[in-house]
Amino acid sequence: MNQYFKEYFDTKTFLICLGLVAMGLLSIYSATFDINNAANFHRQAVWAAIGFVGMLITAFLPARTIQRLAFGLYATVIVVLLIVLVVGSTIKGARSWFGVAGLGGQPSEFAKVATILAAAAYLARMEVSITRLKDLLITLAIFAGPMALILAQPDLGTAIVFFAVLLPVLYWAGATNFILIAILVPILVAFGALFGTAQFLIAAGIGAALLYYFRENRFAVAVAFGIALAVGLSVQIVYDRLPAYQQKRIATFLNPETDPLGAGYNVVQSKIAIGSGGLAGKGYLRGTQTQLNYIPEQWTDFIFCVPGEEFGFIGATLVLGLFAALVFHGINIATLSKNKFGSIGAIGVTAVLATHVAVNVGMSMGLMPVIGIPLPFLSYGGSALVATMVMAGLLMNFYANRKEH
Amino acid sequence: MGAVIDSGEFGSRQRQTVLRLATLVIFSILFLRLYQLQLVSHTEFGKKSEENSVRTVIKDPVRGDIYDRTGRLIVDVGPSFAVTAAPASFDSATARELGELLQMDPVQITERVNKGRQYSRFSPVRIKRDVDFKTLSAVEEHLYLLRGISYEVESKRLYNAPIRASHLLGYCKEITEAQLARYGDTYRQGDLVGSSGLESSYETFLRGERGFEYIAVNSKGQQLGPLEGGQRDIASKEGFDLVLSLDAGLQACAESLMTQYKGALVAMDPNTGGILAMVSKPDFDPSVFSGVTASEDWTRLNTDDGKPLFNRATMSRYPPGSTFKMVVAAAALEEGLIDEHYRITCTGGFRFGRRLFRDLHVHGSVNVVEAIQKSCNVFFYQLVLKVGLDKLNEYGKKFGFGHATGVDIAEETSGLLPSEAYYDRVYGKDKWTLGNVVSLGVGQGEIGVSPLQMARYASSLANGGILLQPHAVDRIYNKRVNRYSVVDVHGVPLGLSPKTIGLIREGMRAAVELPGGTGSLARIPGIESAGKTGTAENPHGKDHAWYIGFAPFDNPKIAVAVLLENSGFGGAKAAPLARALMHRYLFGETLQPERAAIAAADSRH
Repeated sequence: MNQYFKEYFDTKTFLICLGLVAMGLLSIYSATFDINNAANFHRQAVWAAIGFVGMLITAFLPARTIQRLAFGLYATVIVVLLIVLVVGSTIKGARSWFGVAGLGGQPSEFAKVATILAAAAYLARMEVSITRLKDLLITLAIFAGPMALILAQPDLGTAIVFFAVLLPVLYWAGATNFILIAILVPILVAFGALFGTAQFLIAAGIGAALLYYFRENRFAVAVAFGIALAVGLSVQIVYDRLPAYQQKRIATFLNPETDPLGAGYNVVQSKIAIGSGGLAGKGYLRGTQTQLNYIPEQWTDFIFCVPGEEFGFIGATLVLGLFAALVFHGINIATLSKNKFGSIGAIGVTAVLATHVAVNVGMSMGLMPVIGIPLPFLSYGGSALVATMVMAGLLMNFYANRKEH
Repeated sequence: MGAVIDSGEFGSRQRQTVLRLATLVIFSILFLRLYQLQLVSHTEFGKKSEENSVRTVIKDPVRGDIYDRTGRLIVDVGPSFAVTAAPASFDSATARELGELLQMDPVQITERVNKGRQYSRFSPVRIKRDVDFKTLSAVEEHLYLLRGISYEVESKRLYNAPIRASHLLGYCKEITEAQLARYGDTYRQGDLVGSSGLESSYETFLRGERGFEYIAVNSKGQQLGPLEGGQRDIASKEGFDLVLSLDAGLQACAESLMTQYKGALVAMDPNTGGILAMVSKPDFDPSVFSGVTASEDWTRLNTDDGKPLFNRATMSRYPPGSTFKMVVAAAALEEGLIDEHYRITCTGGFRFGRRLFRDLHVHGSVNVVEAIQKSCNVFFYQLVLKVGLDKLNEYGKKFGFGHATGVDIAEETSGLLPSEAYYDRVYGKDKWTLGNVVSLGVGQGEIGVSPLQMARYASSLANGGILLQPHAVDRIYNKRVNRYSVVDVHGVPLGLSPKTIGLIREGMRAAVELPGGTGSLARIPGIESAGKTGTAENPHGKDHAWYIGFAPFDNPKIAVAVLLENSGFGGAKAAPLARALMHRYLFGETLQPERAAIAAADSRH
C-alpha cells in the first residue's frame, strides 16, 4: 500500500489543492461573516466537501474510463449549454445559470473540463496528427463550439479562458509555429483595432511580417492574413454589441482612477486593500477594506484581496507560490506522462488554472481589465469549486497513470 | 524525456522549456506587482484605506464668555442648530424635500453639497445654520425621506445684559476665503470668526481649540461606532473668558443718555486706563449678527446714513476745540514761557496779519487759570504763537494725540496732529503761515482727535500727569486651569512738573465749580469735579459739542470724554450728560439732565 502511495499518489497536487481550498474558506469567512451573506461560508464548505469527493473519484478512476467518457461528457455539455441559452436565468447580465432541482449550476465551468478531455482524447488517437489540416480544424472546432455558445450568453471572460487554453494545448500537441502565429495574429490585430486606426495598421503590419517569417507556403500566409484583417475590421462591430458594462470595463481598464466611483471602483478599492496589507497584513478578520465592505462581491472575483489585506505580502506570496508550484507540477506531469491523453490533458488543465490565476490576480492588482473569472479554489461559487477540484483530480489521475501508454 | 509520439513537435524539449519559461514570466510579473503594491507603495495605500474607513468629525470649541468688571455675564454662548448633509448620500429627491422644509432653493442646496463633496464625500456640509426649533423638528420628523441629512449643534452669541456696547464687543461672522487661506489649519469653511471689536482682537483667546472624533464607517457611509472605542479622540477645548473693565450698569446709563444724539462717549478709569463705558451712536443690536444675519439687516446697517457700524469713539476725528487749550497751557508753562502771574487783556478779538480771530466774550484781564476757566480764546491765540508749532506738536504727542492709543479694540484712528512737515506737505513749503497755527491754539483747524484719545487726555490730567494705556479687557480667565491672567498695562509719566499740572487742574476745577466757568452744568452736587468744554467747528453744519472731565477732583475715580455731533456749545448739552454719567458711577443713580438748566445755558451763550 505504501508502495502504491509513493509511486502513484500525487501528494503535491493533493496538498496544494487542500491548502488553497482552506485559504479560500478562511477568506470567504472573513469577507462575509458579519454581514447578510454569512451563509456563503457554509455553502462553500459544503461544495468543498462535494468537490473533495469528486476529486478523489476522478483521481482513482481507471485511465481508460475517462478517455472513453470524454466525448460523451462533451456532447452532454454542449446540449446543456444550448438549453441554458434558451431557458437559463439571468444572473449579472449573463444567461449562465441553470436551476435543476433547486440547485444552481454553471455549466460553462464544466464545459472547460469536458472540452479539454475531448480535445485530449481526440488528439490522443493514433491516427490523428495535429499537423494535418483536417485534424487541426476539428480540434479548433472542439474548442470553438462551447466557446461560441458561452460567448452568446454573453460571458466574455470564460470565452477568453477557452482561447487562452487552446493555445498551449495546440502548442504542446505539436502544432506548427505558423499555425500558432496564424491564430495569434488576428488577436494582435483585433487588439490594435480596439485602440485606433493607426494602431490597427501597425498591428496588421507586424502580423504580416510574422506570418511571412514563419511561412510554410504563401497561400497559407495570405489566408491567415486575410482572416486577421477580417477579425480586426469586425472588432468594432463586436465591441458595439457588447453590453455597456463590458465596454466600460475595457475603457476603464487603462485608467480605473478616472472613474473611481463607477467602473474603476472595484479595482481602486482592491489595490488599496492589497497595498495597505503591507508585509504581514492587518491580521485575520481585521482588514478594514474587507470588514467594512469596501469591495463589492469580495468573496467572488476579488477574493485575492482578503489574503492580500489580512495576511500581507507574506500571505499573498504564499497563495501565489502555491499556485505557481501547482502549475509547474502540471507541466512536469505533462512532460513525464507516457500517454498522449494524459500529457495533453495535463497541459489543458494546467492552462486553465494558470489562466484563471493570472487574470484574476492580475485584475485585483490592476494589471488586467476586469474580466469576471474566479480564482481557483478560493472564489466563492459551487460549480467553479467542484469543477476545479475535479480538474485537480484529473491531474492526480494523469500523474498516477503517467507510465501507461 | 518524451513520450512515444509520431508528430515531431509534440511535447518536445524546446516546447517544455518555452512553457516553463512563460509560466515563470507570468508569475514573476504577478510577484513584482505584489511587491510594488505591498512593499513599495504600502504607506500610500495604507493611508488611502484609512481615509476610506474612518470618518473624522470635527468638534467645534465653545467660545469664551465676556463679563463686566463686577463679574456680570454680558456675552454668553448658546446652542444654535445647523442642518447638514453628507455628500455621499445626497440625491436630488432629498434636495427637493429639504428645500421645502428649510424654505430654500434646492439648486442652492445642491450647490453647497457639491462644493463640500470636493473636500470630502462623507464630511457633513452645513446647509442652513441657526434654524429655529420648529424647523429642526420638522426636519427630524421627515428624516426617513432625507438621505444623509443630520444636524449639528453649534454655538452662537447670546447677549444678556441690557446693554448693547455693539462697537466695543463687536461681532462674529463666517470666515472669509482670504482668512481661510491664512489661518486654514485651525479653521474650516463655515466657522465663525470675530470680525470687529473685542470679538476680533481677542479671537485667539475666545475661540478655544477644536476637537476630533474618529468614527469607523463602512462603504455605505454608515457609522459603525467610535474608532478604537474613542481612544484616539481629541476633546475640544473651551475658549478663554474675558473680564472687562466695563461697568454694565454705567454702560446702560451712558447708552440711554446718548439715545437721541449722534456721537460718542468714553468713560475711563484714570488710575488704570480701563474703559468703564464706551458708546458710539447710532449703534445696533449685536444679536443681529448672532447666528445667521438676514441679508436685509446687513444691507440696512451698511447703507444707513448714520453709519451705525462705524465706531465713532475710536475711529472718528473731530477738532478738539477749546478742550485743547490745556495742551497749549502745559507747553507754555513747562517751557518756562509763562507762569501763574502772566496776564493778558482779552478784548474779544485777536488780530494777526490781515485776519481777525474772534473770541466769544470780552474777558478782560486773565491769567492761565482764568483763561481755562472762562475759555478765553484770545489768551491762547497769542500763547500758541509763543509756544510755536514744534513745541505744540511735541506736547500734543505727549498727551497722546497724533498717534493711536493701542487700545485692544480692533480699529482706531491716530488722529491728526499737525507739524511743520505736515503743512509743508499739504500746502507746499513757504505756502503756509503762522496764521494756520493760531487756530491750533484753540483746537480748531487741521487737528483731529478721537473721543478715546480725549478720554485718555482727561485721565492724564486727572491722575496728575501719567499717560495710560487704554484697554477694554482687565483679565483673561483660563477655564481649563482655572487661572486669571491680568492684562499688563503700564502708564508713562508725561514728565510735567507738579506745578504745571496743578495750575491746569485748578483751571479745570474753576471751569466747573466757580462762577464764570463754562462747565457749570457739569457740577455734581456733593463733590468737586473738574472739566473743560469745547466746541468743534463744523464747516458742513452745526458745530459739534465736546466735554471732558473727571471726578472727584481729589482722587478721581472716573474720567469722561463726550462728543455730541451737531449739538452746538459744549457746555450746554455735553456737560450735563457727563455730569449725569459721573454721578451714576460715583453714587449709583442717574441724574436726569435738567432741561431748564439747558434752556438757561442756551440763552446765556
